[in-house]
Amino acid sequence: MTNTLNHNAAQNDDVVHPEPEDDEQEDEEEEDDDDDDVLPNLRTPQSPASKLQQQRFKVETLARRLSSEMVPIRVHDVLVNGNTKTKDWVIEAELKGIETATTMQDLMRACEAAIARLQALEIFDSCKVRLEPGPKELPNTANVVVDVVEANNTVSGECGVYTKPSTSSWSLECALKYKNLLGYGDIWDTSLAYGGSQATELSLGVYAPRIKRLLTPIVARIMLVSQDWQEFSSYKEQLLGASIGLISTKHHDLVYTLGWRTLTDPSQTSSRSIRRQLGHSLLSSLKYTFKMDRRNSSIRPTRGYAFLSTTHLGGLSPDHRSLRFLRQMTSFSAVFPWGQGFMNKTSPLPERFYLGGDFSPVCTLGGPTTLWGFKTRGLGPTEPRRQSRNRADDNNSDSPGWDFIGGDLAVTAFADLSFDLPIKWLREHGIHGHVFAGSGNAAKLTQNEYKHFSPRKFLESFRTSVGCGIVIPTRLFRLEGNYFHILRKDEHDRGKTGFRFSFSAPS
Amino acid sequence: MAENEINTLVVRKPCFGLPTGCTQCLSAYLYLKFAQLPFQLDFHLNYPDSDQIPYFEVGDYVAYNNEKGGVTECLKRDFGVVDLDIGISSLPDWISTKAMLTTWLADALAYELWVGFEGYSSSPAYTIYYSDLPWPLGKVLFWRKARWIKQKHGITNENAELKKEEIYRRASSAYGALSTWLGEQSYLFENRPSSLDATFLAHGLVVLQALPESSVLQPKLLEHGNLVRYVQQCKTELIDASPTPTYAWHTAGSSSTSSRSTSSSKTKTKTKSKPKREKTEEEKTFKRRSKYFVAAQLVAVVVFITIMTSFDDAEVGLDE
Repeated sequence: MTNTLNHNAAQNDDVVHPEPEDDEQEDEEEEDDDDDDVLPNLRTPQSPASKLQQQRFKVETLARRLSSEMVPIRVHDVLVNGNTKTKDWVIEAELKGIETATTMQDLMRACEAAIARLQALEIFDSCKVRLEPGPKELPNTANVVVDVVEANNTVSGECGVYTKPSTSSWSLECALKYKNLLGYGDIWDTSLAYGGSQATELSLGVYAPRIKRLLTPIVARIMLVSQDWQEFSSYKEQLLGASIGLISTKHHDLVYTLGWRTLTDPSQTSSRSIRRQLGHSLLSSLKYTFKMDRRNSSIRPTRGYAFLSTTHLGGLSPDHRSLRFLRQMTSFSAVFPWGQGFMNKTSPLPERFYLGGDFSPVCTLGGPTTLWGFKTRGLGPTEPRRQSRNRADDNNSDSPGWDFIGGDLAVTAFADLSFDLPIKWLREHGIHGHVFAGSGNAAKLTQNEYKHFSPRKFLESFRTSVGCGIVIPTRLFRLEGNYFHILRKDEHDRGKTGFRFSFSAPS
Repeated sequence: MAENEINTLVVRKPCFGLPTGCTQCLSAYLYLKFAQLPFQLDFHLNYPDSDQIPYFEVGDYVAYNNEKGGVTECLKRDFGVVDLDIGISSLPDWISTKAMLTTWLADALAYELWVGFEGYSSSPAYTIYYSDLPWPLGKVLFWRKARWIKQKHGITNENAELKKEEIYRRASSAYGALSTWLGEQSYLFENRPSSLDATFLAHGLVVLQALPESSVLQPKLLEHGNLVRYVQQCKTELIDASPTPTYAWHTAGSSSTSSRSTSSSKTKTKTKSKPKREKTEEEKTFKRRSKYFVAAQLVAVVVFITIMTSFDDAEVGLDE
């Protein structure tokens, strides 16, 4: 979910381009080596023209050899130059595959991959890899020399707009990064984010690609987050905590969070169940996410499937008084014919499921919490807010309002049929139309409500909406102009039939 | 739901043989007992620094302690609960007794609970307010409250002893004055229960039951036999007579309709005054519209840039 409008500090992108020349240089030296085995040393002085001709001949010979056969080579030594602050093993860890290369082609591929990995560390201004001939007594060997130039500007700033599927909102984030403070390739950042529901987050984080033998990168963050749900659920949430990323790979992600969470209600209008949850709690939880995305595109998927499963277990502390819950969210979407997600129950207020929001479920894989036509936290179990007994005026017939208290079980399903438009210009730019239908419901199960739960009633009270619209996919996000028609909603749901623009980013 | 329609007083943790260990909550409890309003107790255990607790709820109605003079005043006004202070609340002695109870005695007890003990877990405040919170949270909140009390009294390292003496001396004087005032009567004013009786009895019960033997305040109260008798009598009549409350939800035995029927009819009202609310709604609408306008502008610019960039890319492609 990281589509950004980036203003990065200057990064040297042209490291890869000198590579072919470097390769040629290496090849010539290699050829020298090879040729030395074949021809006696001719130490006669040569004119520049004939030298050039000889070099060209060598390069052409090598190019022919490389294209027609596997040229055997063995890496004798890997040397690193230019790092004054960065530890050697940090760079050496990114050079995997080079030492074990057995052919020239493999070696060149491994070198390209190593350069890409080193650049991805974001701590170097330039990275170059040279091949030099190995010792004379060992034929067909090469030394790999890595020349790095550490970044001069260790401080950089970044600004971006991100999506947050969990709260169905956008956030503007500004970060200040300090690179390579300890020489481990570590990146320290301080960031301030402001988003929907007046969510503000101030955090200090560190990212280190590796610490000695640990295989996964270290990601740690201290944060102060505050969110205002006063309008929907009459409470404000504050979290002061720290999180550590324990495992982070393409498919698996494991994060531990320890935090002090406080729920308050300054307006003093909350409903009963929310009132009882106000106060302090200790959050000590592990969150495991398994993600598999085989869709051919996240902006406009036309083929494939995606699966996301998140398990969030709270209460991992020796103190039995910390917040205990288990939250399981499973989301499966297939582009054809339909997508479905289901979630299980939990009881702490912020961990419940709130349906509604502006994001399109088509491209957002953060859990199917959005339902077309309904506002953020716009449907689900509700409770009446506090009523005052004060004598004000008789004319007033406004109700005090309703709090959305979230559900312990939520199910949503959606189907979206997209089609190209007849106008060629629109087709070329990927602008297409779609018709869609969505359905969802959330139910409360805790506090003995599961006794009153009946699947038939649950199914009968599903909210449904249909609609059609135009989708304008851009590189960064997906803009939609849709007309929704709500087929079924409950009395207190916040959903309206009508026309609306929305934009969502793929994740 | 039937459960929601029962009069419920939500208080802090029951401990030390009392229905609740917090003096403010106990004071509200005793007043409702004096007023003979049937109600049941429920507990809110994870919010020790809230000034909303104790609160009284029935149906969708709630009376918080930090509104309009306290939970009992709210109940008198909105719920038709008997006003036990009629005829005595305007007496000069009433005002001075109230001031003494709510400042000198309350301050002394708060000082003892949060500052008077060496460790966090050796203070009864831990049991009353923080025992249901995880250790680091409770410790930080306890320390925060202790610091607030020291700031309130202007206590520093240099004057700590002097301040301590002054606080306990005032408490002693207050006990003496109350003892003299009470004499052999059963209640403080006109031999009938009032809200000040509830306030003092709550204080007395916590001092006698919750504070350990090493306490400084407890012996000062024990010096006055009639006050101790007064507190013990209250305990016997009002507290020991009722079943000990537990954490489990228990349904009320008596009906709660009798007092409800005397209250004014339910009117749905706004909590804020009308003109203020309209202004806020107008402002909200305006803000929302301006946000949409700005967002639309931003989106248009981004779409334009993206489409134009893709045009340029296509042109470059053609050139190549």
